[in-house]
Amino acid sequence: MPLRRAFLSALLFSLFFLLPLRQTLAATPDLEDRTREIAAELRCVVCQNLSVADSPSEMAQQMRAIVREQLAAGKSPQEVRDFFVSKYGEWVLLKPKTSGVSAILWWLPYIALALGVTIALFVLRKWARKRAAQPHAPQPLTEQTRSEILREEIALPDIEDTSARAQLLRERSRLRAELQELEFDHSAGKLSDSDYAALRQEVEAKAAALMAQLEATPSEPDRKATPAKKAAPAVDTTSTESRARLKRWQLITGGAFLTLFGLALGVLLTQSIKPRTSENDSMTGDFMTGTSSGSADARAAMAEGKAAFGKQDYPKAIAAFKKVLASEPNQPEAHTYMGFILIQAGHGDGALLAFEKALATAPNFPIALWGKGMVLYQDKKDYASARDIFEKLLNIMPPGEERNEVAKVLAEIPTAGGAGPKTAAPAPAAKASGQTISGKITVDAKLKDKLDPQAALFIIARPAGGPGGPPLAVKKIDKPAFPLDYALGAENVMMQGMPFTGKINVTVRLDKDGNPTTRGPGDLTGEYKKNPAEVGSKGVDIVIDQAM
Amino acid sequence: MEAQNTEPSTATENGGSIRRLIITLLIIGPVLALLAYGFTRDARYITSPLMAKPAVPFTITLFDGKKLSLDDLKGKTVFLNFWASWCPPCRAEARDLEAAWQKVKDQNMVFIGVALQDTDEASREFLKEFDVTYPNGKDESGKIAVEYGTWGIPESFFIDPQGRITYKHVGGIRASVVVAKINEAAKGIVSAQEGKGDYQPVR
Repeated sequence: MPLRRAFLSALLFSLFFLLPLRQTLAATPDLEDRTREIAAELRCVVCQNLSVADSPSEMAQQMRAIVREQLAAGKSPQEVRDFFVSKYGEWVLLKPKTSGVSAILWWLPYIALALGVTIALFVLRKWARKRAAQPHAPQPLTEQTRSEILREEIALPDIEDTSARAQLLRERSRLRAELQELEFDHSAGKLSDSDYAALRQEVEAKAAALMAQLEATPSEPDRKATPAKKAAPAVDTTSTESRARLKRWQLITGGAFLTLFGLALGVLLTQSIKPRTSENDSMTGDFMTGTSSGSADARAAMAEGKAAFGKQDYPKAIAAFKKVLASEPNQPEAHTYMGFILIQAGHGDGALLAFEKALATAPNFPIALWGKGMVLYQDKKDYASARDIFEKLLNIMPPGEERNEVAKVLAEIPTAGGAGPKTAAPAPAAKASGQTISGKITVDAKLKDKLDPQAALFIIARPAGGPGGPPLAVKKIDKPAFPLDYALGAENVMMQGMPFTGKINVTVRLDKDGNPTTRGPGDLTGEYKKNPAEVGSKGVDIVIDQAM
Repeated sequence: MEAQNTEPSTATENGGSIRRLIITLLIIGPVLALLAYGFTRDARYITSPLMAKPAVPFTITLFDGKKLSLDDLKGKTVFLNFWASWCPPCRAEARDLEAAWQKVKDQNMVFIGVALQDTDEASREFLKEFDVTYPNGKDESGKIAVEYGTWGIPESFFIDPQGRITYKHVGGIRASVVVAKINEAAKGIVSAQEGKGDYQPVR
């Protein structure tokens, strides 16, 4: 049987491939070539998807040197490979071994191939047999003739009908019966192959002639159907229906499988393959060690936010970072930038919260640590905690410009005076007083009657010789009672991080509506007569002597 | 005749297709699951073949100019740590290591630090900055690192008095773990699994 032969040859064919692959190593006289050959088979431990031969990393260089050295010492390539396997395990080989458990990797595809071929042949044979077993499958008969004969058989005319067409139809039915009988005899073995073919051809020729005649004869309307006519189409419809259902099912399952497969692959790949953050990074690996995956949208928003932040376009940056956080609520970088924007806006508490959110996801995120430290240091004056943060940061950061900056800030933080219990406070007062301007504010006698008891007093400090714009520090005192002792210090600075030092112009305003940005009639003002004043000086007395 | 023939055959065909589907899913399901699992793994975390094996002897020139050989330390429990000054997790663990050393230095134990892929100057600075007092040297050719299958630093090895590796930890390690594991090593207890922490791939 030809099919069986085909099956056997296919099996032999796959067996040929199944033969263990023999490692044929051409004799390479040149040490460099041999080194390269072995290095090409070793996985670079830094960038896992490159071989030691191709990787530019320092480690790969060192590994190449070891290969060269061992080959020069007379070790065989297999010994060199074994050396690396004994150190790193088998994953260091780009090609898994053909023995042991890893042999499965080599054999499995061929086994699957052989299995597939076997199954395919088996199925094909089944189909072929099924087809041969079908009673009405005379090959040479044209498709049309055959179907005509089958169809007409069920539409037998009435016995009384003597029209030409009816006679033709009866003849067809007879031919059909003859054909069936021939096939029956042939399948029963009563008829030889050659006889069968000859007789069949005879009948078919008659049938073809009849068909032509029938086509020429007009059909007569309204023929009574025989019971056979009713039964046969019924069978036909059920079988075609179930076949259609089967086809539909096959389509649905096939489609569902493809969709699932695509989804699984899509999700897995996007989840596990991450962009390399550096040339030392690997592309796959633990979900946990991966960098933020995120959607393309979120990444775009992140980049947009950073760009806007760089241009100090804060509203746009806030919108972008909010977009990032909407899709990734724990994105540490977005939280961190939000924190810096909040610092700019003077919301120390909000900023602290943002940095803490960032650090909750990425406890060692340097920029968030920096931000938190700065808020604690300059806004909260919690020197002990700020110190802890900066020390941690200093520990983590490799030497460089940025690290020096951290060290500088750490050195600036007063060792004492913080709320931390760790540090004793030997002389906080001296240091603190050095950072204030203090004095007495009085009201000129001629303005006494213009004094509004509900007004708010603003003490305003502007850097001497500096540009206009917002003041450096402002202190507001509601319903002041004069004469009034005041002190202006770093805690009154408006912009976080601005030092309260140097020469400063001090003015005061008694504002009727309590809004520092509006100046209306009835506001009283005054200034330090010897402006500017040095930060740290006392007795900076001010007389309110002007009315607007 | 025909009616009886076609009806049951389509029925079996239907049942057959469901069976075929189940078989297909049974084959493909596990393959997909395996693929999914594989994607989540880092091949480097396959347990090191060095565990419970004799530690490879080496000699290293310390930063103070003296030479130190692992062979001379037989009978002592050894803690071996690979680091670099450019590696943040190494910096993070440095104080912990020194703290652990202070705790166990009076026992029959030795700490050895091996700097990798680093300049002399940066290494010395690192040691000074973190007040490291245990012996440290530099792996000039990277050979010691390869002998110990190093790929992510810091990487720490614990060696028992018989010279066997009892535990390996990739990434930053805490002082308490160092002390616990070196005490286990002193008793010759081999850990079944490696430890993991924050690490930086070597360069």
